[in-house]
Amino acid sequence: MSEVSTATAGRTLSVRGLGKSYGTGADENWIIRNLDLEVPPGEFVSIVGPSGVGKTTLLRSLSGLVPPTEGGVFIDGDELRAPHPEIGVVFQDYSRSLLPWMTTVENVAFPLQGKGVGKAERLGIAERNLAAVGLGGKGNLYAWEMSGGMQQRVAIARALAYDSKILLMDEPFASVDAQTRLDLEDLVVDLHTNLGVTIILVTHDIDEAVYLADRVVVIAERPAHVVDEIHTGFGSHRDQVETRSDPRFAEARGRILTLLRSGVAAITQSVAQP
Amino acid sequence: MKVVLRILERLWLPVVLIAVWWVVSENAKSVFFPPLSRIMEVMVKDFQSGVLGAHVMASVGNLFAGLGIAIVVGIVVGIILGETPKLRETVDPLIHFFRAVPQSALVPLIIGAMGMGSAPKVFTIAFACVWPIILNTIDGVRSVEPGVRQMSLAYRVPARLHFTRVLLPSSLPQIVAGVRVALPIAVVVMVVSELFAAEQGIGFYILQSSSLFLLAQAWAGAILVGVLGYALSELFNLFERRLLAWHYRSNNPTAARSATTSKRK
Repeated sequence: MSEVSTATAGRTLSVRGLGKSYGTGADENWIIRNLDLEVPPGEFVSIVGPSGVGKTTLLRSLSGLVPPTEGGVFIDGDELRAPHPEIGVVFQDYSRSLLPWMTTVENVAFPLQGKGVGKAERLGIAERNLAAVGLGGKGNLYAWEMSGGMQQRVAIARALAYDSKILLMDEPFASVDAQTRLDLEDLVVDLHTNLGVTIILVTHDIDEAVYLADRVVVIAERPAHVVDEIHTGFGSHRDQVETRSDPRFAEARGRILTLLRSGVAAITQSVAQP
Repeated sequence: MKVVLRILERLWLPVVLIAVWWVVSENAKSVFFPPLSRIMEVMVKDFQSGVLGAHVMASVGNLFAGLGIAIVVGIVVGIILGETPKLRETVDPLIHFFRAVPQSALVPLIIGAMGMGSAPKVFTIAFACVWPIILNTIDGVRSVEPGVRQMSLAYRVPARLHFTRVLLPSSLPQIVAGVRVALPIAVVVMVVSELFAAEQGIGFYILQSSSLFLLAQAWAGAILVGVLGYALSELFNLFERRLLAWHYRSNNPTAARSATTSKRK
């Protein structure tokens, strides 16, 4: 057993012609339509789009929590019909996804119990993954004894302990303060570099999307679909000051901002002319 | 010292009332309101002879058996109904109907149908107590955070584990509140059930004493029921505080730390 669970053989996640709608007939409302995306093993992809564009619905489709209306999500070519044993999810609302009647280490170990891992082994794995996110020795605390940033680290440790090949993160840093946010961003970059796990992170924050990812996928307009993809080209090295003042950072940021603004304009127009 | 003070703080009023009762009733001439000293005297005498002890044991046995059955059945049925909205809508009026029926009114019917012995008494207690527990368990299950359910789904938590480690603890605060409502109902129905076709129990002791015009004994029985109800409720408080420690502390983390260090109640 290595120090933390590592992605031994990666998985390719492909999204083909994905569509998701609610309602039927005239009331049918398409949240996502004709969305295509291919994420090879080990890539860090951030999906950025304005609030309300359907990012959370997209992430829930990628995790197998909601069935698509059209098209599908495929893991190594196999269609995803239910949550996958090698996909870990980090939810936006960390305080609700951690169980208050379990200690931190129990929370991290809990999904492994469902995988049939023995008690001593799963607690050991949980402790190692807590250490990997900088919470070594804090396993006996309860989530409600921790700060928001620490709670989100626990949620990340839980996803890692699950032996995920793919990590899905839904606006994971949206509700922590700015300084904590920078720390968590660097933690995720380090985990990605060290473990080689695929990360798909959804955010509405353009700077965060550009800073973290190998590739930024821009989604816009209702129904949501991919409008642009930008390879950041920063390699595995990131520095909060240096990277953010890199000319490529400014260029990517400007390009996405322009795209999203025109998207917003298009939405406003379509609302204005029914 | 602190413990003594806290007990005093809690119990001074009952102590004063008992003292007043004792003094005022000391020279009472009414047969219906015998002096408290006389009531205590017969209570001690009947305990010493073992008569009252046997009655109390019989009552408490029925009480715990009935309550235990109600808790198990109530939680299982409540979780099933909480998780299946269609079924819940169908049986919901029925549950509210049975909850609204005064359970004491059913006692003669049930005992008439089931006959003597402790089984029909246990059944009546269980039947009376199960409704508030079912209703509260349903509420508890329905108020489980969607985020918690989603986590359980995303991490493929198997059904059995989901029930025991997620649904049950999450709804426990409401379940415990339901049991708290059921507790006094259990005591009342226990006594009433012993007024019909009974050969033992505190209710039987009260009925028999008063029909023999031994009113001090009847009073002793009534006081015992009150003490039993109070003791049960205090016992439950202790149990609840232990079982739901995480719940109280997670809702009020700052108070939690002072509580664990200084053992403030």
